[in-house]
Amino acid sequence: MSDEVFSNKTVSPQTLPDLAELAFAPISAAYGKVNLGIVVTITTVLLLIALGVRFQPFTVLPAPLFAVSYYGLMVIPIMGTLLAVYQWFADKQIKYALREQDLSLTQGLIFRRLVSQPILRIQHIELKRGPLDRLAGLAKLQVFSAGGAGHTFEIPGLPIAQAQKIRQFILAHKDIGAR
Amino acid sequence: MGDSDRPQTGTGNTPWQRLPLVSILYFIISTTLQFVRQFIVAISVLAYSVSSTDIQGSTFFIPGLVVLVIVIICSGFMSFWFYHYRVHHRHVEIRSGVLKRRNINLPFWRIQNVKIERPFYYRLTQYAVLVLDTAGSAEEEAKIVAITIADAQGLRQQILSAGDNDQDDQDGDAPSEKSENETSPLLTETVINRREVKDLILHGLTNNRVWIILGALAPFYDDIGSAFYGWLDAMGLSLEVLFPSEQVAWWQLSLYVISLMLLALGIMASASVAGAVITYYNYTLSRTSDRYIRRSGLFSLQEVSMRQSRIQKISIKQDWLDYLLKRANLFFEQNKTGRQAEQELHSTSKLLVPSVTYPEAKILAMDGMPANQLYQIPFTRIHRRFISRYLFWFVLPISSLILALAYVELGVLAVLPALAMAVVLSGIVYVRWRRWGIAIDTQYCYVRKGLVGIDRYCFALHKVQQVVISQSLFMRRRDLANIRFILASGEVSVPFLPYQQALYLANRVLWEVESQRRSWM
Repeated sequence: MSDEVFSNKTVSPQTLPDLAELAFAPISAAYGKVNLGIVVTITTVLLLIALGVRFQPFTVLPAPLFAVSYYGLMVIPIMGTLLAVYQWFADKQIKYALREQDLSLTQGLIFRRLVSQPILRIQHIELKRGPLDRLAGLAKLQVFSAGGAGHTFEIPGLPIAQAQKIRQFILAHKDIGAR
Repeated sequence: MGDSDRPQTGTGNTPWQRLPLVSILYFIISTTLQFVRQFIVAISVLAYSVSSTDIQGSTFFIPGLVVLVIVIICSGFMSFWFYHYRVHHRHVEIRSGVLKRRNINLPFWRIQNVKIERPFYYRLTQYAVLVLDTAGSAEEEAKIVAITIADAQGLRQQILSAGDNDQDDQDGDAPSEKSENETSPLLTETVINRREVKDLILHGLTNNRVWIILGALAPFYDDIGSAFYGWLDAMGLSLEVLFPSEQVAWWQLSLYVISLMLLALGIMASASVAGAVITYYNYTLSRTSDRYIRRSGLFSLQEVSMRQSRIQKISIKQDWLDYLLKRANLFFEQNKTGRQAEQELHSTSKLLVPSVTYPEAKILAMDGMPANQLYQIPFTRIHRRFISRYLFWFVLPISSLILALAYVELGVLAVLPALAMAVVLSGIVYVRWRRWGIAIDTQYCYVRKGLVGIDRYCFALHKVQQVVISQSLFMRRRDLANIRFILASGEVSVPFLPYQQALYLANRVLWEVESQRRSWM
């Protein structure tokens, strides 16, 4: 136990840096639009399939499939709309904040989450850009710490320049790479 | 396979070494096990068809079997032939593989764990398997397949002391020139815990260790099944005997079911006890100045070591039976990132001390995390809304479902089973609420939870990797929040805390991590 130095200093709650005072910045508005676009596209495609199945003139469909297409025509637009509305408002809730020593992300409409990741514990960083992200000039910043894949800290929908700046900020941190 | 694969004695001062001949045994057995594991389905189908068709009589059966055996033996010999290793400039280098060549070069300082295993077939020899674990993925694990125990221990000491040097190296520039006598006191071991057979029997009873036996018996399921039915017949428990006609009284049926269940339970319990004894026989937990070493095993000896500074979390877990017997299982847990789920037995990320008594648990917890107050500190309960939420979302739906189902059969009387269920479930929710608690001091965070038995967790504030506060819409209205601490060994979460308290805990932990800047490894 060479590195365990016993310390027993008093910590008053008032002097602690407070997560409640974080200045959160929204992610790019384009992110919400991209997601909305995805939902609308998928819904439309599904709807077209259902329509096609129901009104195609080529063959007589088996009865169960015909019935399913009927319900599909009702359910798909409703689900699509709900999902789009939810997505739109949920995406607006995604915000992030940087402090000298940590990154924070808050998200969620019904279940709200605030995740804080000390920079000191970061093991590596990745910028990820899917095809749609590239189209919209966005990037997803992933930060890995030793807590398992389920706990990867991730800020989606950052403008690429912003994402690179944050990445630089993290890499320049003096504690990065410390174990 | 050209000359490049040959061991080059020319480079460096340490020649490549070949394994002793015993290792062929190891290769043969591991290939056989692998083969059985891969073709288990095919083999059982084959075994089945042996009984229905006459495969044994087929002209191909004996030659096929002989070829298989020869192939396995040859592959064992080939693996032996192509396996070379050396310990060189504080690196372990291994070249292995017949078709897929594998070169491993493992610096001492990257080795996180050194395990010495003695499979049962090595028990009569003086050899052991040395398993070297790195902090990285499971694929990076290296094995020296056969090495004398003395050499294995020597190498382990070298590797472990290299780790110490490495730590010292971080601040000074003095390279690793520590002399032998300086490192040796570090490695003197003292046994701090032993488990007697009695403890292991308790452990077998309270924990399901059946899988140890089940795993070993997997190839013989069919035979065991038929033997079991034969035995039931002999006991007079057979269905044909009991139910000659369709007129069976309900009590006969229920008696039959109950006796069968008791029988099954009895068999499971004894199998579990046997499993516990086989794996944890002669269990010792020893301590060097900075490490814990666990040794156990009846047939195959296992040795797992873990550095104290790498312990992320101490868990002391209990189920209801443990609670009645006043025992608990204590785990030292370390980083498990990048590993697949491992069997508890072989796991190097968890070090288990099975079925310890409370005083022993206290001593071990104090040893692993000095000055912790896991057993003294007063826990703050979580908020009472935990109860009402679970009454509404958990007890109410289940009871209503039972009411609805039973109404068809019983009419108004259906209220009785529904009510009984509601009472039992509410009891469970209440007890659960009573157990939940969290506490914090200047160094550690403590969490308590459980139903009947009490699980206790303790982790150092500065080893937290990430903090998550979450609330649902309802909780936000009541100013409540859940908190989750992510550690390298997994997460610890506490629900339904007052929001301000959750916030304080998060602030406090972040401050501790960021201001102390201490290593979590």
